[in-house]
Amino acid sequence: MKMNKTFFIFASGLILFFLMVCSPLYAAEKEIKIGVLYPLSGAAATIGRDLQKAAEWTAEELVNNKKPDIDLLMTKWGGIPNLGGAKIKLIFADHRGEPDRGADLAKRLIEDDKVVGLMGAYHSSVTKTVSAVAERYQVPMINDSSTSPDLTRRGFKWFWRCTPHDEFFTKDLFELLKGLSEGKVKGVKTIPKDQLKNLAYACENTEWGSSVGKVIETYAKEYGFNVVKGILYDSKSPDLTSEARALIAAKPDCMLFASYLSDSILMIRTLKGMKASPNFFWGQNAGFEMADFPKTLGADINGVLTRTVFIAKIAKVKRIAGQINELYKKKYGDDVTGATGRSIVGVQTWAYVLNRAGSTDKKAIQKACNDINIPGYELVMPWDGVKFDATGQNILGKGLIGQYQWKEGKNELEIIYPFDLATANMIYPFPGWK
Amino acid sequence: METLRDAFDFRDFSKPEKVGFVIFTLFLLVFPWLGAGSFVKAVVIQFLLFSLFGMGWNTIGGYGGQVELGKAQYVGIGAYTVALAMVWWKIPFWVSMPIGVLIALGYSFIIGYPLFRLKGHYFAIATICTSLVLQDIFINWKLVGAAKGIELPIHEHPDFLYMQFKSDTYYFYFIMALFYVAIFYMNWFRKSKLGYQLRMIKEDEEAAESLGIDARWCKIKAYSIASAFVAVGGGFLAVYNLYIDPYSVMDLDLSIKIALMAMLGGAGSMWGPIIGSAFLVPLDRFLGSWLGAHKGLIGVDFMIYSALIMIVSAYQPRGIWGIIEQFRKR
Repeated sequence: MKMNKTFFIFASGLILFFLMVCSPLYAAEKEIKIGVLYPLSGAAATIGRDLQKAAEWTAEELVNNKKPDIDLLMTKWGGIPNLGGAKIKLIFADHRGEPDRGADLAKRLIEDDKVVGLMGAYHSSVTKTVSAVAERYQVPMINDSSTSPDLTRRGFKWFWRCTPHDEFFTKDLFELLKGLSEGKVKGVKTIPKDQLKNLAYACENTEWGSSVGKVIETYAKEYGFNVVKGILYDSKSPDLTSEARALIAAKPDCMLFASYLSDSILMIRTLKGMKASPNFFWGQNAGFEMADFPKTLGADINGVLTRTVFIAKIAKVKRIAGQINELYKKKYGDDVTGATGRSIVGVQTWAYVLNRAGSTDKKAIQKACNDINIPGYELVMPWDGVKFDATGQNILGKGLIGQYQWKEGKNELEIIYPFDLATANMIYPFPGWK
Repeated sequence: METLRDAFDFRDFSKPEKVGFVIFTLFLLVFPWLGAGSFVKAVVIQFLLFSLFGMGWNTIGGYGGQVELGKAQYVGIGAYTVALAMVWWKIPFWVSMPIGVLIALGYSFIIGYPLFRLKGHYFAIATICTSLVLQDIFINWKLVGAAKGIELPIHEHPDFLYMQFKSDTYYFYFIMALFYVAIFYMNWFRKSKLGYQLRMIKEDEEAAESLGIDARWCKIKAYSIASAFVAVGGGFLAVYNLYIDPYSVMDLDLSIKIALMAMLGGAGSMWGPIIGSAFLVPLDRFLGSWLGAHKGLIGVDFMIYSALIMIVSAYQPRGIWGIIEQFRKR
């Protein structure tokens, strides 16, 4: 018996040793490591896992392996050409939405995993601490999906952001409202401004939501609207009854939200229970555009609008978006969304930057980020491209506003804004609850 | 002088404890040079920070026996004072940190005075409430950054005055120094008059009062000492993370973590909070780092973490230190 035990320990040790020695040999092909921080557990885990899938899929399917039937330059590469065909390897870390954990993990990725750069971190608050670590260690960080305007106003030299920020998006909302009162919206007659004038917002109360609230107030003033109620609420709260009641009591024409997934679902259900009846429902993406949002709420969200950066219907006007969406859907069963689309663009940007730098040297990557100009036709998004200004903000990105429309037993997200890309008539006013 | 002698006098500890303490100290001294990566360093920094918090909590929660679940508000006060002083007036850390501690002390007296009219569960609930109220105020208070929090300016070159370094090694030695100050203070505290009074109050408050101890005043003093401890840690957090918001420094989760670590390690013992923190901080961080990003293992790290807490508390309610003592007595 004792002999068996000794043998077992010895054999296990031997196997472990061989695994340790042999694994680097198999991994001899040159790899470029990029650290990606997402909330993979905790309240935002559903979103985080979707982002992880999208990023991983992009690295594997669009960058590392050739896909000649897709009309993208990078799918002919099979690795980064200027780095001898090196493959991108994403190393994920789960920050749970906690800024201090994000900072610690960023250090792990930089010093222990020796990544050449960072991507993430979805939550603007975590992006703040992670980018501070990147700045301190002078490691490039390309942010794919945090939209707090402040992030690119800190004078950082090692931080770039692909996505447009909340000021761009909120401006789009007010352009849409203005368009409604000027008769520019497809399928809707001119609406007197009086029917749209009073706005109420409920935003989750962390860095992101509160900055959305602030931007809404600024633009409301600029465009001549009234904010009759503004609420900041806790997105982890198990009950939003009092918030919903306060919104309804203000009798707004338009209800505006900045919510993560679980709270957006809870908010809609609570408002439905109270038979809220505004003319216009709009969500600042995040929860409102996740695949689980229409899946869970079904016909209840017929007429709800969400700002986003990607809608599957964009395939009608952009062929490459359709090709990529089809491939993605085949693998995971869901359409690409604004959030996952930005992860795809994040990895795409990293690939172009590395190719332009032609080296993994930090300074070369920094220079490449400052000089990069990716044309719009190379991206899955309906953007004009990726080009960073002196603050690190992409100036060629733009937003979309989509509307959920219940057709033949399922939700279709139709493009409503920009007006020239509209794919369906807008449902106005909000038709009420089924 | 006598105070200093008491602080450095470890004679009443058993030999294994003294040997363990010396080895642990030597280990900490050379730790940054052992080739550990920066994540491990960051975890050890978190361990020392939570030990500091735990030792503070131990004065009122352990020796005083009061279930205090609102320590995060003082972490917040310490952190916000340092951050705001630096952003608004460019006041160096070494000036703003003591100011933060003084504000925390003052605030704790104001809060503690009415709070200690309550006992038992009511006291525990009230501590949670005061902390949540302060957090809510900070979430909505635009002057202090509201929910967006405050970002500290990054200095291009290391700056000792503002505690900005590129390498975590400096932060490590700084928090280690604070940690040892706390240990010596606690060593004095447990032998001080207040320490004995608190233990008496914990055993039987009425009997203590019949002996002339002003129980409420003693508890307020211990509560304030605890608050000062965590405010120091809060100030450190601000310069270490360079960004604070009401969620990261004032959350209920943080209050519970502080109490949990001290309780699980062994409340009311000298080493309990340190052991609790040495057990829970690495467990949480390493499990999260190893398992958190794995597909198909969602939540496994949480399960292991909570299962271990349950096992320890079911086996020995006096915590890990209780288990160690149980084995020593055999």
